[in-house]
Amino acid sequence: MGQTALVGDTQPVLVTPEPVVTVRDICKRYRKQIAVEGVDLTIQPGEIYGLIGPDGAGKSSLMKAIAGVLTFDRGQLEVFGERIDSEAAAERVKGRIGFMPQGLGLNLYAELSVEENIDFFAALREVPPELLAERKHKLLTMTRLENFLDRPMKQLSGGMKQKLGLICTLIHEPKLVILDEPTTGVDPVSRRDFWAILADLLRERGITALVSTAYMDEAARFHRLSLIYAGRVLAEGEPDQIRQQAPGSLIEIKVEPQIEALRRLKVKFPQTEAVGAVIRVFVAVASTEQATEQVKAVLDGLAIDDIHGIETELEDAFVALLRQRHLADEQAAANPQIPVTTAAPTPIGGEIAIEAAGLSREFGDFRAVDNVSFKVMSGEIFGLLGANGAGKTTVIKMLTGILPPSGGSGQVAGANMHSASQAIKERIGYVSQAFSLYQDMTVLENIRLYARIYAVPRKQINQRTEWVIEMAGLAGVENRLAGKLSMGIRQRLALGCALVHRPQVLFLDEPTSGVDPIGRRRFWDILMQMARVEKVAILVTTHNMGEAEHCDHLALMHAGQIITDATPEQMKLSLQRDAGELLEIVTDQPLMALQIVEQAGFEGAALFGQRIHLLAKDPEQAGRQIAALLAQKQITLLGIHPRIPSIEDVFVYRIMAREQEARSR
Amino acid sequence: MSRFSKTTHHAVYRWWSRMVAMTGKELRQLSRDYLLVGAVLFLFTLDVMMAGGVKMDLNMATMMVHDADHSQASRELIYRFQPPYFKFGGEILNQKEGIELLDQGKALVVLDIPPRFQHDLIQGKPTSVQLQVDTGNTVLGTLAASYGGQIIGRYGFDIALQRMNITDAGLASVPMLADSHRVWYNPNQKDAWFMPISELLTIITVLAMMLPAAAAVREKERGTIEQLLVSPLTPTQIMLPKVVAMTLVILLGTALSLGLILRGVFDVPMKGSIPLFFAVTALYTFAMSGLGLFISTVSRNLAQATMLIIMVMMPIILLSGAWTPPEAMPPGIRQAMYLSPLYYYIEMAYGILLKGAGLKLLWDSLLGLTLIGSAVFGFGVWRFRRQFS
Amino acid sequence: MNLHRIKAIIYKEWREILRDRLFLSLAFFVPVSMMLVFGYGIKMDVENIPFAVLDQDRSAMSRDYLHLFMDSRYFDYQGDVQNERELEPLLADSKIRFAIIVPPRFQENLLSGRPAPVQSLIDGTFPFRTATSKGYVIAINNAFNGKLLAGFISKKMGLSPEQAASLVQPVKLELRYLYNQELKSIWSIAPAMMMFILMMTPPFLTALGVVREKENGSIYNIYSSTVTRAEFLIGKLLPYLGISAVNVVILWFMAAQVFGAPFKGDPLFFFLASVVYDSCTTGIGLLVSLFANTQVAAMMITVVVTIIPSVLYSGLLVPIASMDAASQFEAHLFPAMYYTDIAIGSFLKGIGMEQLWGRAGALLLYTLVLWLVSYLLFHKRVRA
Repeated sequence: MGQTALVGDTQPVLVTPEPVVTVRDICKRYRKQIAVEGVDLTIQPGEIYGLIGPDGAGKSSLMKAIAGVLTFDRGQLEVFGERIDSEAAAERVKGRIGFMPQGLGLNLYAELSVEENIDFFAALREVPPELLAERKHKLLTMTRLENFLDRPMKQLSGGMKQKLGLICTLIHEPKLVILDEPTTGVDPVSRRDFWAILADLLRERGITALVSTAYMDEAARFHRLSLIYAGRVLAEGEPDQIRQQAPGSLIEIKVEPQIEALRRLKVKFPQTEAVGAVIRVFVAVASTEQATEQVKAVLDGLAIDDIHGIETELEDAFVALLRQRHLADEQAAANPQIPVTTAAPTPIGGEIAIEAAGLSREFGDFRAVDNVSFKVMSGEIFGLLGANGAGKTTVIKMLTGILPPSGGSGQVAGANMHSASQAIKERIGYVSQAFSLYQDMTVLENIRLYARIYAVPRKQINQRTEWVIEMAGLAGVENRLAGKLSMGIRQRLALGCALVHRPQVLFLDEPTSGVDPIGRRRFWDILMQMARVEKVAILVTTHNMGEAEHCDHLALMHAGQIITDATPEQMKLSLQRDAGELLEIVTDQPLMALQIVEQAGFEGAALFGQRIHLLAKDPEQAGRQIAALLAQKQITLLGIHPRIPSIEDVFVYRIMAREQEARSR
Repeated sequence: MSRFSKTTHHAVYRWWSRMVAMTGKELRQLSRDYLLVGAVLFLFTLDVMMAGGVKMDLNMATMMVHDADHSQASRELIYRFQPPYFKFGGEILNQKEGIELLDQGKALVVLDIPPRFQHDLIQGKPTSVQLQVDTGNTVLGTLAASYGGQIIGRYGFDIALQRMNITDAGLASVPMLADSHRVWYNPNQKDAWFMPISELLTIITVLAMMLPAAAAVREKERGTIEQLLVSPLTPTQIMLPKVVAMTLVILLGTALSLGLILRGVFDVPMKGSIPLFFAVTALYTFAMSGLGLFISTVSRNLAQATMLIIMVMMPIILLSGAWTPPEAMPPGIRQAMYLSPLYYYIEMAYGILLKGAGLKLLWDSLLGLTLIGSAVFGFGVWRFRRQFS
Repeated sequence: MNLHRIKAIIYKEWREILRDRLFLSLAFFVPVSMMLVFGYGIKMDVENIPFAVLDQDRSAMSRDYLHLFMDSRYFDYQGDVQNERELEPLLADSKIRFAIIVPPRFQENLLSGRPAPVQSLIDGTFPFRTATSKGYVIAINNAFNGKLLAGFISKKMGLSPEQAASLVQPVKLELRYLYNQELKSIWSIAPAMMMFILMMTPPFLTALGVVREKENGSIYNIYSSTVTRAEFLIGKLLPYLGISAVNVVILWFMAAQVFGAPFKGDPLFFFLASVVYDSCTTGIGLLVSLFANTQVAAMMITVVVTIIPSVLYSGLLVPIASMDAASQFEAHLFPAMYYTDIAIGSFLKGIGMEQLWGRAGALLLYTLVLWLVSYLLFHKRVRA
């Protein structure tokens, strides 16, 4: 075990031409199920290599094989130049590898304290006591866990567990870290934090990293990456290169009536989705002008408010690539039309479908929800945003009548939550974050069960079942066990079951976590349809910021309170008003540049892959200042552009501001 | 029809429909849990059958003989130790060897016949033989001593009659007891009746707790409870179908065990009313499911629930009389037995299956089970409902 | 083999066990409560058999005869009934387990030199008790007969009562109860229970402990580290072995002090043999855990795998010597039998190493094989 001693210092790593990991045509199957099929990839020293793909794509199997903890059936694997073809060979490289398996803190020991966890991993890896003390101090300070040394792991928040996992994986200073979905289930603030710490550590110690994620928007964090789907690599390279593999333009349109426009566009452009009040269309031509013309032609006769091109994202490329290879969920393409119930029940409560008035809830001394008020109209999609533990779920629990509030009142679907919780339960639908239907029952059995639980009249059960199957695109899988379906189809089934009794109000608690992009789009198509056509009021909680963009109205929750409550556009505008424009800086030495920018005192500077994002009140002046600073240090400035902030930017800014305020008080 | 009764009718229909749907769901889910179904089948069939293999009677106990006489008479005596109780293991040369064999567990009894045994008998002198019995296992030791005593007693009696020249016909003019024994309920004294029934009752107890607890904990573990809680189902409508479904499964398993194993393999006579037995079993299962529901409220996962059930099982069995009739219990424990629902159930089960007893005799046990059972079930239901508020 | 890493694993495992209260109580509560349940719950002493009497003769002789039963410590007189039909419900309701019927003209028959029939009804529900009760009845009847015959002969042949008695009973039986002179069933049950409990609980805990790591994924820390297979297995199992060793002492204490079973053997030998037996059963748990993927499956497999050898092939209920050849062979394949001999031998027979080394050796061999097989089956680079 000489390796640990080798990397005690902080010298930059000498980049050798020899790759750290070489994977050639690897295949892995579990009994009959294929997990990985013919994957090739090479990881160079010092890079952060990403594996992006939905749940079940084969990322975990691949990473476990590289970590030497899983056998594979075919192909070649070299790690640190060692051919991994036996348990003995795998043992030879394990000293230089740190592996963190999937699942938030699952590999940690729940009963042990933070420090005991770290000490155990260090002892396993035989880290000498002096080195351990030094590393522990450094890592704990970086991750700001130093005040929680004695807290049992099971009482940490998701983000803290993640960081502790990282410390434990890095305590022996491996040359290669393999992190399997480290950010899944972690809120955006903690996620940014996590990436920043990881980037710092890796840079400082010259560690190579292989990281997987299900979030497409994290692609920018990687130097290079592979898009994985169904055990194969769809595309490989730098994030921009991958985007260019599926050239196209993204057109954003505001048009009335939205539903009709959606219907028409979907026929011609399968990658069409409604995002709140606008529609986004991916057109597979590189020229924005041509694309705009094509879209306009389809929308002939409708009132177009606004139409412009925006930059494509990796997710668009991913979906386009899937389509090119005919891997996309064929149901989604073949059935763009969602059946409409002819006679939608008239809402009882008039326009306001959900109303929370000063809701509060205490658990002992802890105030989980603090004076929360908002309104949701019928036909509106209302998003409740917030980190884990912000109080979102408690609000939903109170509104759905499971949890009595400590204070305040509420109306749901025309019924008072104090006096008529049973009536509320009959009138609402609910989709939870984890799939909460019966995995050991078939699709049809699940639908019928919920139809009967909600006392759908016997004569209508068949009709409603058929409607659900058609609406959720479940034809062909009716008799499959729910547990055997992909996440996307499962969540559509959950949605179908929630809608089987035609509720006027629909609650969704983080409904699409773990669902692949196509599945998510399909899911939101249905939600949009339900809201616009059936006038269902939809309350959705999420910490997925991409999803938040789809909502008509957002409320941002933090520590039990609603911080802001507005439409997505308003939120972005107010961010620009309060904090300034979002600038994206591209340089040839992003790490150095980031340091310089941070020292110059720019707010919220963060690294996204090779680019730096920051907020500036006066963008022009900031641009000049940065250009000058970089020139001074002989860093080439490749570009500096204003960007429209995302909801994630809003979220992170608002939460950080809140936390700062709390700290200064 | 008045509006009121119409809505009442509607409400009743809804309630019923939900119950049926949920009960069906439970049965369906159970049928797809192959591990659990396998375990249930194993318990009701093979396990009950295996229990029948436990014979507590003396069976071919090895007897070693130290025969210092080597006479006609001594051979005659040795010959009387016959299977199925005894088997002659061979001769030994001295007492020490006998002790060694007993120490090693290679013999259960050692018969010591003194020199001049035959001579003394012929002379009419009193003589004695020694039987050393290994009572390391008291059941076997007691039986061996008892059977050995009977054999030797019979031998001496025959010698005495011979000596007095009393023939078999002459026995009619001797004043003595002509004793006859009738063993009721199990005339051939087959162990194979008692142990399997006892095992079946224990299994019913375990499963009556385990199955509803597993069904309830699984909903928690997999998060499906969330979906049920936001639905219009009341806690009772969530809980009751589990109890009903699992009771049905247990009754089915009991029927299987009764028909296939107890009757099919062991020829248990089933003297009493089978419907009464099933009714009592259903009542008992309901009562015990209360404990299962309670356990489900305090455990986070199935593994925890199983551990807790194992712990709860211990005192219930101790106090039931499953292996030992109440009269053999120490006085304090005998009083505490009235607290164990299994005690009443065992009384009734043996009463019905082996003795043909009916309600007329068993009403007190039935009353006891109903009272204790209601308390247990009520407690479980109360805790189950409370966990949701 | 690196002692530091083993120590780290032991320390971690021990901490986890200590903080998981349910698991910890399971580790100690279950063995103790099993001992109490079986110790108090299984009574093999047949005493106080409740019985009723139907005396249709109501003579001095019939009363003398019946008093033999009433005065016996084995029987517990519940009362007289008036006719035979009354007996059935009493038996059916388990109010009595035995009844004796003395028909009319009992005394008259005997006094006039004729045999007199008597009848006993015995509840057959608990066959061992039935057989034992029948033995008592026969013994009492024989004693009564002996007196009758002796009186008859002394009168007929003009012998002294002593002479007549020896004539009637030419062969006296000297019974010597070895090892458990007072025939206290608990003395033999308690040591046998140690075999049973130490067969069930260590594999249970071990399987749960290992499978738990598999279930929640922390086993990957081991897979992906440089800890060797042997280091992991030793570090993981030693705490469980420690718990079992403590349980040996607790159970031993209970058997000797709570239930009063005499310990006559060599304490050191017995303790060491018990620890070897523990290692052996722990090895069973380890083997189970390599095949089970969930804790529930591990529990079920453990119960099925351990209950058969410990009940049927251990000598607990059926002595090995009484089995047929096939069963005897099977019994020799399971470790339970060897330990039953060691436990009974050490407690009641007072024998030690000299007589039992073969059994202890068999257990040791068993342990080595189990651990070796587990070692060979455990991989840090898995298939699924």
